[in-house]
Amino acid sequence: MLSLSDRIEALFMSVQKPVRYMGGEYNAVMKRPEDVSVRYAFLFPDTYEVGMSHLGMKILYHAINARDDAWCERVFSPWVDMADLMRQNDIPLFTLESRTPVKQYDLLGVTLQYEMSFTNILEALDLAGIPLRREDRTDDDPFVICGGPCAFNPEPLVPFVDLFAIGDGEVETMQTIDVYKAWKASGKPREEYLKMCASIPGIYVPSLYDVSYNDDGTIQAVTPKPDSGAPAVVMKAMLPKLDEVSYPERIIVPYGEIVHNRIMLEIFRGCTRGCRFCQAGMIYRPVRERGLEHLMEMAEKLVSSTGYDEVSLMSLSSGDYSCLPELARQMVQKFAARRVRIALPSQRIDNVLTDTLKETQKVKKTALTLAPEAGTQRLRDVINKGVTEEDLMRSVTDAFGQGWSAVKLYFMLGLPTETDEDVLGIADLAEKVRRCYFSIPKERRAPGLRITVSASVFVPKNDTPFQWAPQLDYDTVVHRQQLLKQALSKVKGVDFKYHAPDLSYIEAVFARGDRRLGEALEYAWRLGCRFDGWSDQFCYDLWLKAFEDCGLDPDFYATRPRSEDEVFPWDHLDCGVTKAYMLREWHKAQRAECTQDCRKGCTGCGMKRYEGACV
Amino acid sequence: MRALIRFGKQPRLRFISHLDLQRFFQRAVNRTGLPIAWSQGFNPHPVMSFGSALALGWTSEYEVIDIKLAAPMGRGRVEAAVRAALPEDLPVLEVRMIDDRHPAPMSQVRMSDYAITIENGDAVLAQIPAFLARDSVMAMRKTKSGEREIDIRPLAIDVHQTDCGLFCRLMLTEKDTLKPDLFLKTLSDMAGVEVPEAKIHRLMLLGEDASGAVQPLMVL
Repeated sequence: MLSLSDRIEALFMSVQKPVRYMGGEYNAVMKRPEDVSVRYAFLFPDTYEVGMSHLGMKILYHAINARDDAWCERVFSPWVDMADLMRQNDIPLFTLESRTPVKQYDLLGVTLQYEMSFTNILEALDLAGIPLRREDRTDDDPFVICGGPCAFNPEPLVPFVDLFAIGDGEVETMQTIDVYKAWKASGKPREEYLKMCASIPGIYVPSLYDVSYNDDGTIQAVTPKPDSGAPAVVMKAMLPKLDEVSYPERIIVPYGEIVHNRIMLEIFRGCTRGCRFCQAGMIYRPVRERGLEHLMEMAEKLVSSTGYDEVSLMSLSSGDYSCLPELARQMVQKFAARRVRIALPSQRIDNVLTDTLKETQKVKKTALTLAPEAGTQRLRDVINKGVTEEDLMRSVTDAFGQGWSAVKLYFMLGLPTETDEDVLGIADLAEKVRRCYFSIPKERRAPGLRITVSASVFVPKNDTPFQWAPQLDYDTVVHRQQLLKQALSKVKGVDFKYHAPDLSYIEAVFARGDRRLGEALEYAWRLGCRFDGWSDQFCYDLWLKAFEDCGLDPDFYATRPRSEDEVFPWDHLDCGVTKAYMLREWHKAQRAECTQDCRKGCTGCGMKRYEGACV
Repeated sequence: MRALIRFGKQPRLRFISHLDLQRFFQRAVNRTGLPIAWSQGFNPHPVMSFGSALALGWTSEYEVIDIKLAAPMGRGRVEAAVRAALPEDLPVLEVRMIDDRHPAPMSQVRMSDYAITIENGDAVLAQIPAFLARDSVMAMRKTKSGEREIDIRPLAIDVHQTDCGLFCRLMLTEKDTLKPDLFLKTLSDMAGVEVPEAKIHRLMLLGEDASGAVQPLMVL
């Protein structure tokens, strides 16, 4: 009889990239099962290359493994070739570290980064042999706990998930483990664990809530079941001081190439800008910076323990770090001799400090990436992207003058109030960027100007001021894409990137979906949908069929304008920023009125209701 | 000064490609904390070279990497540092300090020993005497430019049956190479059977010393 490990390896010669399923990487944590009392499987519902590039998973993996009583092991979605072979050969979903079937774990944590990974969760549960529906699970199954940004509106996943962890995961995850141990020792039935977890800050137990609907299909109320002890509103978990929670000192170094193969150093969490389309900018509030000394120490440990030659300073808006020039200077000084590059990934056009550019340039010169998001000042004011054309031109001119020749510009199509004129404004901006390049004398600029314009389709998200906005209808999106394509074809040296709007449409359905969508999600998966975020796997027609057969109208979720007093499916989950604040912002957006960065003065978003926030 | 390091590739990591392993070592040498010598030029990288590439799916106890150091170091310290920088499935088995004039290990390799573990391999193993008795055995060798028929008999230096399969010493030079999977396929063809499930394990890389005697690579 071959071991599971041997049976897994027997498939390796038949799949693409067996290194995805291999495990055994440097710094992967190995423990003996008999030494721990809680086995935790952590699923990233996408490929190994994507999941291993994700900072949140690294943080939680090492935080759980820092405990002596628990062992956290990784699971990724097997690519379709592997999944099919696993089914044919009766191989259950397994963890990378010990190659143990996921069904045997106590807790299965899943990170929800993106709505289009939801079918992969069902696929993973099925491959693991865990019943999809939570009510069908028994003592032989793990509890399924989902966290991450999409947990702020987890309703479409409610039929399949036991617990949701809302907000910062470092502490609440530990509490679910502590409570698990207490529950296990108590010998009480499965439901009792869920009830015990309902009192952990940030934990949402969906089975303890009832939903009622209005005649028009909107939600009347989401209320805790009588005597459930569950809070009427779940406040997200929030860590006031990041320097006080653990950050990994040794991260796993993969063998194969992954998407972001470098050290990621989270310099702060949260963002004060208040861009109205941006969910991350709302749900990760307030801004919490790590101390400069602490960051230097973290970087030193990580460089030594991994051998990586690149450190990326991560945050939602790294240019806003209060001592960025000093941090960049110290990092460059400290690591230049060891040939470690320092990268600032999400540069903001109004904040690309010339000095910092000089520092990073010393080490590496990648494409300058800027996100004006909209083509006209009016529309940038609507979305509260506090950036002017002047800022943009100054940034690119500076960069061209210092030897950059590649610029990537990111925009969104279909923002609220957008007109054809706003879209044509994107082509104008591209032309002006081109002129900035040629304004630099030939001998002082790097040859080979490359401008990339990417335009994604705007998806209104829950917990943003645009949660009331309809998504722009399909035909108008296509029209504006073509309009922009034509206009950009007249600007020399521009590469235009855009995609069919169908993926964004399904994403919009789920972003603001409710519990009833669980049906369609499961149905779509049964029809064969998986890896929906991958354009070569995405099947739009199957999704439309799923909605139709389940009697659900996707337009109800994606393109329907919401009234201001509508109860949203996520209103019982408090993301920190109040609905009243978001409604004020929604009104200001219609007037193209800006709201200041709250570093310059409190804008009353509601975070101050949290102890230790915004001090 | 250079460090010549012999390490193993355990079963768990046998599906790492040679290219991925090279990338892995770029980072591994960084974390040794040793004074690694870097190449000159536009894209500096640590100066290191590998022995012979191991095919995907094979294991080994004789992989060799040669790392150049910018300053002299004791063997013990190098060994400890490299051991700490590698995962347990790439165990460090031997370290030897050599001077800069020492030829590159790759250029010294002449042959390689393999242990091939075969399940239900009786029919194949029974062909060994017949193979050895022949003067010439033609086989199709896949190369970058297509397939080419070669005589593999002179490339098999030593072959004998073992408890769980066979041992073979096969030529491994730029010009004349016989890979153990082709060797196994040839025996299977002779027996008229499908190629059986087999595990291929590299036991040793060998070269020739000044007198022409065959020696393990690490002692040359």
